[in-house]
Amino acid sequence: MTTSNAPDLLPGTLDLLILRTLQSDAMHGWSIAERIQQVSQNVLQVNQGSLYPALHRLEHQGWVDAEWHTSELGRRAKYYRLTPSGRRRLAVAAGEWDRMAAAIGRVMKLA
Amino acid sequence: MTFRDLRLRVRALIAPRRVERELDEELAFHLEREAHEQQRAGLTPSAAAARARARFGSIALAADACRDARGTVFVDALVRDVRDALRSFRRAPWVTLTIVATIALGLALVTVAFTVYNALFLRADAVQHPEQLFTVERLVRPDLPHPPGGDRAWMPFSRREYELLRHGSDVLTDALGMVSDVVARIDGRVTNTTLVSGNFFQVLDARAELGRPLIPADDEPATSQQVVVLSHRGWRKFFNGAPTVVGRSVRLNGLPFEVVGVMPETFRGLSVVPPDLWVPLLSVRRFHLPTYLDEYEGKPLDDSVVEVVVGRLKPGMSPEKAEAALTAWASGRSDIKRNRPGHPNQLTLTPNRGTLWPLSFHGVIAPAFFAFGLVLMTGCANVANLLLARGLSHRAEIGIRLSLGASRWRVIRQLLVGHLVLALAAAICGVVLSRGLLAGAIRVASTVMSPESAELMRIAPLPVDWRVLLFVAAIAMVSTVLFGLAPALQTTQVDPARAMRGDAMQGARSGRASQILIALQVGAAGLLLITSGAFLRSAFAAANAPAGVRTSDTLVVPVTHEPFRPAILGALTTDPLVEAVSASWSSGVTGFPAYGGQAVITRPASSATQDRSARDQTTDKVSYAFVSPGYFNVLGIDIVSGRGFAPDERTMDAGVAVVSEAAVRRLWPTGKAVGSVVQFEAQPPPDTQQAASPRAPSRPYVVIGVARDIESTLADALRQFADPNVYLPIGLQNPGTSLVLRVRSDPDEARRALLDRLVAIDPAFGDITTVRAMVNGRAVGLWMVFGVTVVLAGLALLLAASGLFSVLSYAIEQRKREIGIRMALGATTRDIAGWVMSRTFISVAVGIVAGAGLATAFVKVLAKWVPFWLGNIATIVEPVAYAAPVILIVVTCTVAVSLPAWRATRVDPVTTLRQD
Repeated sequence: MTTSNAPDLLPGTLDLLILRTLQSDAMHGWSIAERIQQVSQNVLQVNQGSLYPALHRLEHQGWVDAEWHTSELGRRAKYYRLTPSGRRRLAVAAGEWDRMAAAIGRVMKLA
Repeated sequence: MTFRDLRLRVRALIAPRRVERELDEELAFHLEREAHEQQRAGLTPSAAAARARARFGSIALAADACRDARGTVFVDALVRDVRDALRSFRRAPWVTLTIVATIALGLALVTVAFTVYNALFLRADAVQHPEQLFTVERLVRPDLPHPPGGDRAWMPFSRREYELLRHGSDVLTDALGMVSDVVARIDGRVTNTTLVSGNFFQVLDARAELGRPLIPADDEPATSQQVVVLSHRGWRKFFNGAPTVVGRSVRLNGLPFEVVGVMPETFRGLSVVPPDLWVPLLSVRRFHLPTYLDEYEGKPLDDSVVEVVVGRLKPGMSPEKAEAALTAWASGRSDIKRNRPGHPNQLTLTPNRGTLWPLSFHGVIAPAFFAFGLVLMTGCANVANLLLARGLSHRAEIGIRLSLGASRWRVIRQLLVGHLVLALAAAICGVVLSRGLLAGAIRVASTVMSPESAELMRIAPLPVDWRVLLFVAAIAMVSTVLFGLAPALQTTQVDPARAMRGDAMQGARSGRASQILIALQVGAAGLLLITSGAFLRSAFAAANAPAGVRTSDTLVVPVTHEPFRPAILGALTTDPLVEAVSASWSSGVTGFPAYGGQAVITRPASSATQDRSARDQTTDKVSYAFVSPGYFNVLGIDIVSGRGFAPDERTMDAGVAVVSEAAVRRLWPTGKAVGSVVQFEAQPPPDTQQAASPRAPSRPYVVIGVARDIESTLADALRQFADPNVYLPIGLQNPGTSLVLRVRSDPDEARRALLDRLVAIDPAFGDITTVRAMVNGRAVGLWMVFGVTVVLAGLALLLAASGLFSVLSYAIEQRKREIGIRMALGATTRDIAGWVMSRTFISVAVGIVAGAGLATAFVKVLAKWVPFWLGNIATIVEPVAYAAPVILIVVTCTVAVSLPAWRATRVDPVTTLRQD
């Protein structure tokens, strides 16, 4: 349904992207998806059907917190915010990602 | 699971609608925001909304995935299933009611059994750390195996030894002493009293409900006031629960005592049923302890008996280590009597948690569980049958669900949840019902018992505690599986395509399942009926067993305190109710085996064989008892040859003896005993165990007569009158004898009247027993067991019959077409009826054969396990015992079957054939 030429996200990376996106600000679901798309220059398109389950899962894991605020449209929206434990989780996951990306990069160069 | 996670889940469970609304709102906002964005890019509002939805994908799917993340799907489904179930119950209230009532009845019966079991074996409430409590025993034969709860003879400690044990050994933090089941009179009414050391309540760490418990100072010789603490039962029984009882003065065995406290209802000390009151051990000499008669009379307090010593082990001490340490400690002391001279003094520790040993009563409780459980099972089988039948009518609906994509497991789960709801409702009704059943059973039991047993009858409080509730819940779940699983599996085994066409014909397997269930039910009913027959015969046998002695008008009067003997004798001999008074002094009174010794028997020269040596002698072990001249007459023991004792032959010095027929058979092969001489050998001085038993002086006794054998099959109940080999004469005034009376009226009436007179003479007087009650005690137990089994068997039979009826009715309803075709092809009414009946014939026959076989085995096992006090279980295989239940079952089943069969014959072939 969405752009078919966008690469599939690696499993587990959606959580990482969400956590990273929330690092500085509280956001609602739509703007999270929008931001990821913008920052990745339209390479990464978040499947919106899996965005909300991921957010709810992160909320249950205690890495994000949700609050209802009035949005830019003047209507109530659910804003997600990183919790301290989410911040720690992001640090760990980002480190892992860096190591993984560097390793894959090295393999790609040498092979 | 983090705390936040838990909070969110709980929130989702508590306020599911709100959480759902929030989810909807969140997703709706997303769509609106997206549409807004698209609109800004130049689309029309409606096109923008469509675009947004298209970009999002399936909203329902996303919402579902969010719900999955919530982790409450299982609970949501459960709630839905329960709601579904409730709805379906409302649609079929009668079926629901039938199921709940059937299961509730079964559960109630099992709960009754468990409540009793719980109270006797599991509970020891209001006692702190019962696992640290151990009975310290000095067994007579410590070298023999001594299973807990088994028969064991022990040498009780003296008060001095108890004090040494308490303070001297370093394995016990403290030890309490007690003498239980003492009969004492409070203001003339008989009580069951336990004498306890002053630290009793401290060691158990129990608090009083009113006033205070006993304290060590109450048990010291210097104490100024004799005190007593009431149990909750005793308080209710003797003072009607008056709150002002503390401080009141009562006369206990005629002496003044002050009531200082009342214990709470949950406290029962270390016995299964609480006594009426606790009195300091100090007062032991004011109470009648027949077993230890010589132990304390006229002796200092230090020598008084402490029947049971229970120590609290130091924390962390293993019983084995403690036992070894105690044994070493006791062996090193000269002031602790040894169990066997020359051996180390061995002390034994046995756990004492204030409950019975399951092993000692499994003979009663295990069969009870089994029998009660059988009725529950029969009920479950009934419900299973009902559900199987109903399941068939649900097939179309289930087929639809399956074809819409529900997994079979999901549908089974839904059905089982519905059944579980039923079972839980049944469990609640079952607990309530079990209370009623228990109360009823206790009432019936107390009216059936003899007055003297009823007076002393103490029934353990049978409360419903968490264990009972847990048990009921567990059994309810088990029965859900029993009655619900097979129908659920069966019903979901449908081909959706066929089911939706409405072609829900009964499969062959459903028929087989219900036939197996019918066979089970008939088998259970047969088992219970035949077993109850065995109890009935046993009870009859016990009731009609020859007692060997007169039972219709005889009483046994113990002389509790010798100083009152002349007054008691005076009262009895002048009482118009009393026809004759005799005395007996037999080992049976104290409960020890018949006493005897080596005796030389010199037989007179046989007149027929003059050539043989003039006299012939043998030495053999001979048991004896002492009786007054009137004894044979009072108890109706005939003198078959020679004569009984003359009125003036009242002492052993008379030098005469009467022998029993059994003794003649054994010791006089010629059959001529009269005229022989029996001389007992001098015996060693008595040891403590048998101190209370009489002994015969070593002197010649001339045999003057032969008494008829007391051919009693109730040897245990009538131990007091057990046949000795030799009767020796004794007088009414002889200390230690108990009096045996024959009265002119009903023995129970006479007992009451005489009791009033004798208590007026001796306020501490014991109790009068009718010989009839001694004999009936045995039969009463069997009658009660019979009553219970016959009620259970009746219920099982009724359930089996109703199961047959409903299964058959349903099967015929299902096969109307087949019947119609058969009739159209020329089958007669008889053919049809026969065909219907034959469908059940095999299940019933299999059930009967299985039930009879099981019953035979069950009764055999019971006869081995049932404790002696319940009596002998008749195990002989009698045709009548089997024929009667079998006929009853066959007749009942035929009645249950005939109505559906009759209905089958009324099927109109034309109508049924026209239907399709």
